[in-house]
Amino acid sequence: MARLVLEDVTKRFGAVIAVDAVDLQIEHGEFVVFVGPSGCGKSTMLRTISGLESVSAGRILIGDRDVTHVAPSRRGVAMVFQSYALFPHMTTAENIGFGLRLARVPKDEIARRVTDVAKTLQIEALLDRYPRQLSGGQRQRVAIGRSIIRDPEVFLFDEPLSNLDAALRVRMRLEIARLRDRLDATMVYVTHDQTEAMTLADRIVVFNQGHIEQIGAPVELYDAPANLFVAGFIGAPAMNFIPAEIEAGENGKANVRFGAVSLPIGREAAEGKVTFGVRPEHLSVAAESEHDFLGRVEIVEKLGAESLVYLQTGFSKAPITMRIPPELSVHAGEEIPVRVGRKRLHLFDAEGRVI
Amino acid sequence: MADAAVLPPARPPFNPWPAVIFVALIVLALLFLAPTAGVLLSSVKTTREIALGALWSIPAELYLGNYAEVLANPAVHRYLLNTVLVSAPATVASIALGALAGYVFAKLPFRGSNLLFLVIVSGMFFPPQVILIPLFRLFNAMNLIDTLWPLIVIHTAMGIPICTLLMRNFFATVPNALREAAILEGANEWQVLIRVALPLSLPALAVLATLQFTWIWNDFLWPLIFTQSDEKRTIMLGIVNLRGQYSVAWGVQGALSLIASLPTLVVFLFFQRYFIKGMTMGAVKG
Ligand SMILES: Nc1ncnc2c1ncn2[C@@H]1O[C@H](COP(=O)(O)OP(=O)(O)O)[C@@H](O)[C@H]1O
Ligand SMILES: [Mg+2]
Repeated sequence: MARLVLEDVTKRFGAVIAVDAVDLQIEHGEFVVFVGPSGCGKSTMLRTISGLESVSAGRILIGDRDVTHVAPSRRGVAMVFQSYALFPHMTTAENIGFGLRLARVPKDEIARRVTDVAKTLQIEALLDRYPRQLSGGQRQRVAIGRSIIRDPEVFLFDEPLSNLDAALRVRMRLEIARLRDRLDATMVYVTHDQTEAMTLADRIVVFNQGHIEQIGAPVELYDAPANLFVAGFIGAPAMNFIPAEIEAGENGKANVRFGAVSLPIGREAAEGKVTFGVRPEHLSVAAESEHDFLGRVEIVEKLGAESLVYLQTGFSKAPITMRIPPELSVHAGEEIPVRVGRKRLHLFDAEGRVI
Repeated sequence: MADAAVLPPARPPFNPWPAVIFVALIVLALLFLAPTAGVLLSSVKTTREIALGALWSIPAELYLGNYAEVLANPAVHRYLLNTVLVSAPATVASIALGALAGYVFAKLPFRGSNLLFLVIVSGMFFPPQVILIPLFRLFNAMNLIDTLWPLIVIHTAMGIPICTLLMRNFFATVPNALREAAILEGANEWQVLIRVALPLSLPALAVLATLQFTWIWNDFLWPLIFTQSDEKRTIMLGIVNLRGQYSVAWGVQGALSLIASLPTLVVFLFFQRYFIKGMTMGAVKG
């Protein structure tokens, strides 16, 4: 059983704190995705788990075994690199079997296991090719093959799909999902791609400046972000943030006010300045009588399945983004009535914590 | 009438430079080849024909007696053997040590390693004359004069700077991710070097092998200093020695010169197929 536990893990590079006292428990068989802006320490976190970097402080446990000071190859982890890191002078078969050759596994057993893995990944026809004779997607498969052949307990993926073009990325994403279901292993996957994170993860860990901002299931992070950072990071296009105020409403419950708009939030809250957050899909074009505010259309982006509208308003300096059905015809320069969905209102205090 | 709008392709103005450069290169090539051609010509002439002063003429007949004489000479066998006994181990040792040092400098840097690297590479700029006398006294004290050992040791040592420089720079182009991937697969540092870094550095190894072998094989100075007896002489001294044995043996000397340059040619031809670039392609690019 390969539970992965990080206790207070810290990694410093000189004065830079790349990973800052991270506590995390990943259950056996779980698929956990690390997301966060570039430079927030995702790769460093992964590399300390793999053992390629030593920790500055803290403990790492894999399957209840303390591996903090165990050599990388003895930790039972396998890593797939963003750059694939295939050995250019070895064929596909030699690349996949490299670890077994080092472990002096008998030749016929290596051959058998390489063939098995190649079948799983549908790269049997490529076994005699060199990496330079493979396409990006094929190289990715070989890299995955090399990682699964030794039956690791924990898989580490560092942005494995980011070098692929968009169409291929979608296909490989599905394949990784399939792999996840077939292999009985714990997986940690680093990406900055929202869709990959949302679709693959059992749980997402949002990193920022070396520490964890929030951990949760994808939908949980999307619907109930714990703070401004997560609210702004998860979801594309990003949530709209509007400076607002809490004021007393009816029945002892509070209202949130921005500009001339005052919306009941349906619960109590202390009065004061807040940031009001609303996702683009929770704004809609409304009938004149039902609208909350008027916005002047700045730009319309027609994406086919939906359209994104950017509005200028009196209460927000940044344009307000809304998502509308493609059949609604909205034109730049127009003033349109907008209604705010009442169900998903996000309020954040001055420190950025959710209220 | 649409054609009227199309201008005839402008004729580029005559550019004399390619022609000038071409001619200059031909002249240079001839100048470089002339001595070789002279040696080749004299090696297939009889001593008598050379003595008549016809050094540059086409020989009256193809006379192979000089080659037969050289190849039958047991002293020449000894010279060739000695040269191999110096060149082969010194080439291998200097490249091996350079590869080890280069790997550390490229992949396992430590505090002060850059400075140490500079110190090692600066060894390239020592003129041999400066260290000649101390080395002679050193090897004399060790009782190694008139053996091949000083030659092997000196050529190995003198080769380390260039080998370290070249190997370090080549290893630096081997992506770090390859080393890390190998380590995760269970390789130790030595296995990373042998199974990943070196196979990817065949071009550098081939260049160094050719360079080192040629340089050591053709060396004249060090064997002149450290060997005295005919049994320990290397081939370059042997060519000169032949002059002493026979009065004016231009033909024999020419033949031996050509024979002496064959091994370096063979080494070059053997290794040149590895002088290819782009071995690391496909390692880390998408
Ligand atoms: N080997 C290193 N030496 C010094 N600083 C490093 C090293 N590796 C990473 N860092 C720093 O640690 C921080 C986190 O980097 P990284 O983990 O690569 O971020 P991410 O993968 O999230 O983009 C960055 O500020 C980066 O500059
Ligand atoms: Mg990274």
